[in-house]
This record gives sequence, C-alpha cells and structure tokens, in this order.
Amino acid sequence: MQQAVFLIALAFVPAIGEAIYFRNKVSWQSPVPASQIVSVTQARSMGENVMWVDARSSDEFGQSHIPGAISLNEDDWNELLPQFLGQWSPDKRVIVYCSAKTCNAAGEVARRLREDAGLQDVFVLDGGWEAWQQAKK
Amino acid sequence: MKLIFLKLFGIVILTVIANVARAELKWEQTSVDLHPAIGDKQAVAHFKYENVGKTPVHFTSVHASCGCTTAQTQADQVAPGEKGEITATFNIGGRTGMQVKTVNVQTDEPDPAQANVVLTLKADIAQLLQIQPAFVYWQIGEEPKPKIIVAKANKDAGIKKLDVASATPDFTAKVGAGSSPGEFRISVQPRDTSKPVYTTLTIKSDSPAGTGNVFVASARVLPAPVTSSANTPASLPTVRRNVATPAAKGSSPSQ
Repeated sequence: MQQAVFLIALAFVPAIGEAIYFRNKVSWQSPVPASQIVSVTQARSMGENVMWVDARSSDEFGQSHIPGAISLNEDDWNELLPQFLGQWSPDKRVIVYCSAKTCNAAGEVARRLREDAGLQDVFVLDGGWEAWQQAKK
Repeated sequence: MKLIFLKLFGIVILTVIANVARAELKWEQTSVDLHPAIGDKQAVAHFKYENVGKTPVHFTSVHASCGCTTAQTQADQVAPGEKGEITATFNIGGRTGMQVKTVNVQTDEPDPAQANVVLTLKADIAQLLQIQPAFVYWQIGEEPKPKIIVAKANKDAGIKKLDVASATPDFTAKVGAGSSPGEFRISVQPRDTSKPVYTTLTIKSDSPAGTGNVFVASARVLPAPVTSSANTPASLPTVRRNVATPAAKGSSPSQ
C-alpha cells in the first residue's frame, strides 16, 4: 500500500512540472465570460434581431462571410468602427465571430465595442466561423 | 513485491532520463516582452534556438495564432550545433493595450514535449490618445443637448492641443480642457434631432510623435426604434428598447 502511494506521488512530480512549464498552453482557458458567448443555435433563434460582426481579416471577410455581416477587425479599427456604428441599432444584438474556437479576435472586438463604444448586448459566437459553416451542413 | 516496486521505479527514472537525453532544440527564450513606441506599425520578436543534439532537427510547422502575426524560420533544417531564430512580426493595426500572440512550432523531434513549442510574444501598445466613449448618440426627437467625449493623452505624448472636425454639418464639436493635465473634453451636439443623421469626428492632436496622430469618434441621431416579433431566447438578456442615451457628462451609451 505504501509503495502504491509512493508511486502515485512520484508520478505527480513530472505532471506538476509539465503543468508549470505549459501553464500558458491550457486549452480550456477562455478570455470571454460564458455569459457573453452564444451558440449558433441561439444566434439563429434571434432571427432578424442580430447584427453580425466579422472580426476576421478583410481578406477572409472578402472571401466569404455570414450573410449581412459587417467587417470590423483590429487591423483597420479606426476605419471600420465608424462604418459599423453608422449601421448599429440598439434594437439588435451584436454577435462577433472570428475564425476557429482558439481565435481571440472576436473576444477583443466584442470587448472594445462594449468598453470603447459603450455598446450593450455584444456577444461572441461560440466556435466562430467554422461553427457557422458546420451548422450549414 | 519489492522487486516489482523496484522495476516500476526504474521504468519511471529511465523514462525521465530518456526524455532529457532526447532534448535537441534548445530555445534561448520562449516568451518575449515588447514595448513598441507610440505610432509604431509593427512589433518584432526574435526567438533564438540552438540544436544541442546530435541529429538534425526539421521544422514541420510554424503557425501564428492570429492573422495579424507572421512567423518566419531562417531554415527548415537545423544541423547539430547550429543556431538560428524564428522571427515573429506582429502588425499592430488599431490594437491597443497588452497584446499576447503565440506562434506554434512543431519539429520532428521524437519527444512530443520538445516537438511542440509555443512561442509567446507580448506587446504592450501605448495609446497616444484614449477616447471615451468613441460613440455618442441621440434618439430621434430627443432634446439636442451636448454630450461629452473625454480624450486622455498619453503623458509621454506631449499633446497640448486637439482639433476636432465633423465630417458633416449636422453636428458641432468643441474642444475644452479636461479635469487634469492632458485631458480634453469634446462637446458634441447635433443641430437637430428630427431626422436620423450620422457623422465621423476626426480628432487630430499636435503630438510630435508624427504617425498615428489622427483618431476618430462617431456621433449619431438614431432612427426610430423598430418593433420586431422575433423570438428572444430565455437564456439571454433582453435587448433594451428605446435605450436611454448617454448623459452629458462623458458617459458611454451604455449608461
């Protein structure tokens, strides 16, 4: 019994070492609070009450985007933000998406819309563009 | 029983030793802190490495986490004893504050822990001028009282004066002194709120920094609210109708 406990304790040594070494690579950390994330299903249930914001690069937006989406990325923030605000409506929720679940561009754009422009009802699409594409299949 | 214990202990020790012995590509640092100057367009990080093993190492993938960052290797193969670096270039664009970008590097090293390395670039981007809020609006028919945008200059920027111009004649904008040095109060007022109008306010500073001297804010008289019968999911907060517009004390539209 003592030996088993010793072996388990021994196994913890490299495990703790890896946890410290790879502390910045923890995959489940998300900078966006859960209350500010919506799924594709939730977004679709909102019908016309949504303004889609594409936080990907202008090139990616040019290739394809969610119908009706407005391009707003941090590469060209000062140019694109006024264009977005000219179309914004307080009657609609804003849902920001970027590419892939690991991308944090949507979270950053959503944060700046809340903090810099003072908008409410700004959400991030869970799974981003890929989730939207997947849901179409 | 003791023999089994000794064998298991030996396996653990040998595994640890084997992993250490296989380590070949040694990184000088895997995280770089950068402090680009105000107005810089890019921040560049150099991640230096050396092959301390006895066999060549090949990069199989070098991939940045964000489209705003590019990463370049000097060569695909690193011979034993050879040194080199991966250069990560972060295009700042309109980003501000602390930015953390990563580059995922994969090599053909047999140890998975060595073969997958995450390089981290942290860039603290100083803002020449902080504008709060960047958007003021009025409901249609609302009394056209002025609303305040507060602009706070970076203390190192040496900004003494701001000029604000509206892109359309529907709004006026006046600049006054703020409550502390380097702070400005921009008073924005629509001439009329009987119809929806929109403008971009161009804010220019006299900063000697040169680049990045022009900022924008927006002002708008919103169209009448649209009523909609679309379903509202119970799990999400309700959209506010007829949202109260910001008070004339530099508040954001959300207040």
